[in-house]
Amino acid sequence: MGTLIAIGAGIAVLGGLGAGIGIGIATGKASEAVARQPEAEGKISKTLILGCALAEATAIYGFVIALMIIIMLK
Amino acid sequence: MELYNNNDFKFTLIKNMGNLTEKLMEELNCETVFTIPVFGGIGVAESVVVTWIIMAVMVIAAIILTRNLRVDHISRRQAVAETIVTKLNGMVESMIGPEGKRYVPYLATVLVYIGIANIIGLFGFKSPTKDLNVTAALAIMSIVLIEGAGIYQHGVKKWLHKFTEPIAIVTPINILEVFTRPLSLCMRLFGNVLGSYVIMELLKIIVPVVVPAVFCLYFDIFDGLLQAYVFVFLTSLYIKEAVE
Repeated sequence: MGTLIAIGAGIAVLGGLGAGIGIGIATGKASEAVARQPEAEGKISKTLILGCALAEATAIYGFVIALMIIIMLK
Repeated sequence: MELYNNNDFKFTLIKNMGNLTEKLMEELNCETVFTIPVFGGIGVAESVVVTWIIMAVMVIAAIILTRNLRVDHISRRQAVAETIVTKLNGMVESMIGPEGKRYVPYLATVLVYIGIANIIGLFGFKSPTKDLNVTAALAIMSIVLIEGAGIYQHGVKKWLHKFTEPIAIVTPINILEVFTRPLSLCMRLFGNVLGSYVIMELLKIIVPVVVPAVFCLYFDIFDGLLQAYVFVFLTSLYIKEAVE
């Protein structure tokens, strides 16, 4: 049972994969945009922070669910 | 020369991990500090007490900074107070736009409160945002403000009609959004604060010196303030959308 719980928590945390890819793409595009238009840096970084926060949420959900699996099923 | 036995090291590591699980559980369930003896006893949780401390700090700072305000020949203290208020108002206003000016003081207060709550862990208090109830309360306050702003701006009829925009078929999704928005706001803040706490504790077990100090800068200070910013940013974005 303990092993299964550990595996389940591990699978839940796999959600972090998507967040990593998403934030990577967003940051890459943002640096491209800044290189092209350095004067718009303020607006770009604000949008980037928002996008990162939204993308990061999936990883956080994965983490919260993994924690819940460990605590509830123990 | 071997400084420590490998097995010994492993044993300490495992023992510390066991301690961590216990500590984590302790951090997760917020214990009641004392009970108010009315209506059959109202429990006061630790996060509430820490919130009171934050409130006291904020109120005292506000009182000290706003004493003897003058129009001309301002004191240095007043200059500081004016800078803080102008910067905060400008920051929130740039997010919410000119139409949502009425909601700026509330959002600025939430920003300051969550900011302090996230970094108060450095001073030895248990940060209130690590309690799911606190973040849930903040998120519910946010969604009530968002919908309230929509009703205030457009009236009930137009507000209800907004659920069917842009086409009628998306109505269930729009209604669902009323519940998913506070849920995601609440879980994002809670998960981030708890996540950085767990990572810091793990790091302290593996490398007890120097390295945690560096990561503490990121996880405890930068991430905490960023999450406060993100919470207010998203709330103001939703309000902006509602009053449009």
